[in-house]
Amino acid sequence: MEKETNNLYEGMFILSAVLSDDARQKALERITAEITNHGGEVRKIHDQERRKLAYEIDGHRDGFYYLIYFAVPPEAITELWKEYHLHEDLIRFMTLRTETVRETLEFKSLVEQ
Amino acid sequence: MRSFSKESGSAPRRKSQRKRKPCPFTLAGIKPYEIDYKDVDTLQRFITERGKILPRRITGVSASHQRKLAQAIKQARHVALLPFVYEE
Repeated sequence: MEKETNNLYEGMFILSAVLSDDARQKALERITAEITNHGGEVRKIHDQERRKLAYEIDGHRDGFYYLIYFAVPPEAITELWKEYHLHEDLIRFMTLRTETVRETLEFKSLVEQ
Repeated sequence: MRSFSKESGSAPRRKSQRKRKPCPFTLAGIKPYEIDYKDVDTLQRFITERGKILPRRITGVSASHQRKLAQAIKQARHVALLPFVYEE
């Protein structure tokens, strides 16, 4: 058999703003622990600080954004999805396939004219 | 019979001859796959005051960029970086 192949993903996670710093750290660890438990590894975490949500989600107006690059076997994604939906402090998340880990979150700007 | 307005001097501009706006992404050297849902400031320029995605006949975005742009805007909406609709 070939060796196990992990795909690279980027996940955006929004944690509740009502949590204390400690509780938020724990919630983040729960997310990363879930990745490692499924045979994956966390490549990079971008802490994007507190942000105002563009619309209200379950009564939340603000959230702490985290962008996590991680590699897991593709089968794990559905498992992670189920787990994350049971996570009450995680108000929204989205996982996408990606090819590269971005070290900085800067983007080319459009030319003004 | 062609009708040219000699009085005004300028030939009537037909719709099909209107010069196409250049694609802003091509001008900036951004490839379609480089359009990112995290880049809210850029995406913001392609939605209306209501939050709708602007058609490319207005923005001049090329077809391939528009497909990726629409996808990115929808992803950004999911993670509450952009609203589905601006109220009021």
